[in-house]
Amino acid sequence: MTPDDAEGRSYPLYFPKYPRSWWLRKGPYRRFAAREITSMFSAAASVTLLAFLFALSRGPQAYDAFLRLLDSPWMVAASAVTLVAVLYHTATWFRLTTHIVVIRVGGRTLPPGLLIVALSVAWLGASAAVAYFHGWF
Amino acid sequence: MRLPRARGPRALVEAMAWALFSAGGFAAAILLPIHVAILGIAYAAGWLPDDALSYARIHHLVSNPLARLYLTALISLPLYHWAHRFRFAIHHQFGIGLKRMVAVGCYGSALVGTGLAVWIIFFRL
Repeated sequence: MTPDDAEGRSYPLYFPKYPRSWWLRKGPYRRFAAREITSMFSAAASVTLLAFLFALSRGPQAYDAFLRLLDSPWMVAASAVTLVAVLYHTATWFRLTTHIVVIRVGGRTLPPGLLIVALSVAWLGASAAVAYFHGWF
Repeated sequence: MRLPRARGPRALVEAMAWALFSAGGFAAAILLPIHVAILGIAYAAGWLPDDALSYARIHHLVSNPLARLYLTALISLPLYHWAHRFRFAIHHQFGIGLKRMVAVGCYGSALVGTGLAVWIIFFRL
């Protein structure tokens, strides 16, 4: 592990020790950690959807009980928090995508704002389609 | 100097895990907000039509095979996104080692969730 220099002398490598709260120290680190934590809320939303379908599979009584649960104030509050987290995921994911997807036309690259606009249009269109089928179809 | 491409079964598994993470990230980013808004907020607020979430209507909607495929992807993909991110959050934010156990726990949970989703959507509904 210790590298040798040209004359064969070896030097120890320095591994700085970070406190476990390193990510709480600065704004950018906190925002990064917040971004990663939003994945837990996405998973919670998935599980909630699955629970919804499971209640549906068990018949009208179980399904109505689940709908009553959706009506309760603490469920609405939890959903509001989840919605904020999931929207934060969407925003940061679109920004992240502009770092990874670099579109070149001829010799120039398209501005990242264009990609964000395209993704946002896709997001709005998909949301409208889902809402239509979910509520009005 | 170009580094040689990573090869072998471990590289393959990591590539698959990352691909699922990416797909899950897109599914969560584009599709989850509206679903959370509808079930979590709009229903309780009374913004949906009266019979929008009635048992008969939703059961009929979900009996469509395309709807079932959509729901399976919608539910299972974000789980892989969570698994990948949470695994590294455990290592980097919470400072916990135990790499193999954490990886198996995270991706295993996502696989279990996928299995549950397929079972409920295709065999119980």
